[in-house]
Amino acid sequence: MSVKIALAGNPNCGKTTLFNALTGSNQFVGNWPGVTVEKKEGKLKGHKDVTIMDLPGIYSLSPYTLEEIVARNYLINERPDAIINIVDGTNIERNLYLSTQIMELGIPVVMAVNMMDLVEKAGDKIHTDKLSKLLGCEVVEISALKGTGIQKAAEKAISLAERKNEVTPVHEFDSKVEDAITAVGTMLGMDIPEAQKRFFAIKLLEKDDKIKEQMKLVPDVSNEIKALEDAFDDDTESIITNERYVYISSIIGKCVTKGRKGGMTVSDKIDRWVTNRWLALPIFAAVMFIVYYVSITTVGAFLTDWTNDVLFGEIIPPAVEKLLVAVNCADWLQGLILDGIVAGVGAVLGFVPQMLVLFIFLAFLEGCGYMARVAFIMDRIFRKFGLSGKSFIPMLIGSGCGVPGIMASRTIESDRDRKMTIMTTTFVPCGAKLPIIALIAGAFFNNAGWVAWSAYFVGVVAIICSGIILKKTKMFSGEPAPFVMELPAYHMPTVGNVLRSMWERGWSFIKKAGTIILLSTIVLWFLMSFGWVDGKFGMLEAEQLNDSILASIGNVIAPIFAPLGWTKAGEGWKMAVAAITGLIAKENVVATFGMLFGFAEVAEDGSEIWGNLAQVMTPIAAYGFLVFNLLCAPCFAAMGAIKREMNNAKWFWFAIGYQCGLAYVVSLCIYQFGILFTGGGFGLWTVVAVVLLIAFLYMLFRPYKESKSLKVA
Amino acid sequence: MMPLSMVKPGETNTIKKIGGKEETRKFLENLGFVTGGEVTVVYEIEGNLIVNVKDSRVAIGKDMANRIMV
Repeated sequence: MSVKIALAGNPNCGKTTLFNALTGSNQFVGNWPGVTVEKKEGKLKGHKDVTIMDLPGIYSLSPYTLEEIVARNYLINERPDAIINIVDGTNIERNLYLSTQIMELGIPVVMAVNMMDLVEKAGDKIHTDKLSKLLGCEVVEISALKGTGIQKAAEKAISLAERKNEVTPVHEFDSKVEDAITAVGTMLGMDIPEAQKRFFAIKLLEKDDKIKEQMKLVPDVSNEIKALEDAFDDDTESIITNERYVYISSIIGKCVTKGRKGGMTVSDKIDRWVTNRWLALPIFAAVMFIVYYVSITTVGAFLTDWTNDVLFGEIIPPAVEKLLVAVNCADWLQGLILDGIVAGVGAVLGFVPQMLVLFIFLAFLEGCGYMARVAFIMDRIFRKFGLSGKSFIPMLIGSGCGVPGIMASRTIESDRDRKMTIMTTTFVPCGAKLPIIALIAGAFFNNAGWVAWSAYFVGVVAIICSGIILKKTKMFSGEPAPFVMELPAYHMPTVGNVLRSMWERGWSFIKKAGTIILLSTIVLWFLMSFGWVDGKFGMLEAEQLNDSILASIGNVIAPIFAPLGWTKAGEGWKMAVAAITGLIAKENVVATFGMLFGFAEVAEDGSEIWGNLAQVMTPIAAYGFLVFNLLCAPCFAAMGAIKREMNNAKWFWFAIGYQCGLAYVVSLCIYQFGILFTGGGFGLWTVVAVVLLIAFLYMLFRPYKESKSLKVA
Repeated sequence: MMPLSMVKPGETNTIKKIGGKEETRKFLENLGFVTGGEVTVVYEIEGNLIVNVKDSRVAIGKDMANRIMV
């Protein structure tokens, strides 16, 4: 017989660690239908017929966040056979608030009190027998981190599930509230099972509109609500919240003996330094410097060089070539495989090691609790331009790869703040944009360091300006949601959790190399290698590139980019084509230039083509080209992520349109003002640039009008 | 009554009223901020607070801290 067990608990209570410990590598990760909330399912180790469902971390079964709705719809509709309610023993009082709600669902519950090792260390004692009696469920002490007690918790849940006995909550509220719940319970339709009546009755009293969608018959309970609200002089939802905490406080004294009261914990002492008014930013800057220094220059560089020079230089290409020669492969196919696929995909995979090192660091910083503090520190600054401190974490991850960066925006509860974060995250130069920076710096600016610094600066300024501009539009009017965030106690994350997080993020990048980039290199190779010569379609010789299909396409779109200075006769289309392939994947830009200038393969920074490139663009146009690539819509994979996270076609196109529009305007201004100030004359496009600049400044500095109507978005 | 943002670090107070948008108020209630409950300010930077509510640490921005009355 198959058994379904759901894991439910607060965020940061160790739920994911427990899930990983119970299921090992036997997991399936997806999304809940229709929403961008992660759905994790797995088989219990050693029990093929037991499915464990990891519900999103929630504080309550109220309908205020997507996570809460997803979790409770699952519990009501799918009705798992048992629930393991994981509770953080170090702040048990708050955690029990959710427990009292879970108990009302009529599903057998095992309470797993986690972090028992920390509870004991603090000198506290939790009397699980009393807790069990006063809440009406089995209680097991566990430490998910050390793996103690988890097997016992799972076995208890299985045996409860097999017995199938219904459960009734033990906790009671004030008699007036209880009377109202009973009264509403009798009014409920036949479709609600007896054991769930309390849950539905309470939700109806709380005026929870979302629950009505789950019911066939919705009784009118306005009289009961009014009576309660008059008696308590409060709204029903707050009354019931209060009653839950009152009950918890009444039992907590019997269940928990505190070793010492109050005082500063270790976490509090660390926070004094880490969130300190003066030291917070320097400490943060130092941490980030170490992270990037190690992942880009030392360990990362070593691994990247090895992958590029040895793995994709000396090992794979010769082996593939040998194989192709051995099987007598046609020349054109050899060309496709070696010059197109191996070179293209290899160039992308070269970033993987460096990115994985960065993701290990970021996963560690998240796992140990520092990231939550970073959000808190940055909130002070980000709030000034309409973003929340929580927007900062997606941007940090986005400096590695935009796809997991955009996905990390899920943790932002407010819809407005999340959409704004999704739109601006990819302005941060990701790993794939670094070669473009290196190419432009090398070919035009003698490898000057300021080019790279300015790229990050441009990204940050773009985020700030976009925040301010978007905040003043109707769509985003209003302040960012007030900052409220739980700060988990500092702790050492498990190696398994860090590696898992690194792999999940890295994988989204590797997948893109295997799919989008693979496909685009094939298409690109075809467009470049075939064309019409003297009215005849066929494969081209290397020097006939100007007759290729790609050149024809490039010549059509090149005029659009002419005002940006990508104009040199007969060559301008190459820049246009490179920028367009950059929309597929930014890694393509350098490789495309390489192919367009007739090199089968170029180094990561494209040093072979520096000379060619310098002849077709002025330095000013080249810098504009760089900025265009930094700001325009990211690669296909990241656009896909934007589409998924926005979950709305209109918003998706708005985001992409905004990014491309901003990129075009900024690089137009750079080029036009550049030639104006270097004595290049004044023309029609200079006027356009001036007009655009004025419009931009107007949008930036126009007075901010709070919308007068009280419309809640 | 005074806003939570005025409370000195280390002091424990009883929450008297929570204002602000309904959504945020409910979120705070779920996190343990209920009228009649106790709250201790652990640390303060420019009006932004780290507080101790039911043994968990919650960071709240200045604008929200101004709406929690103790």
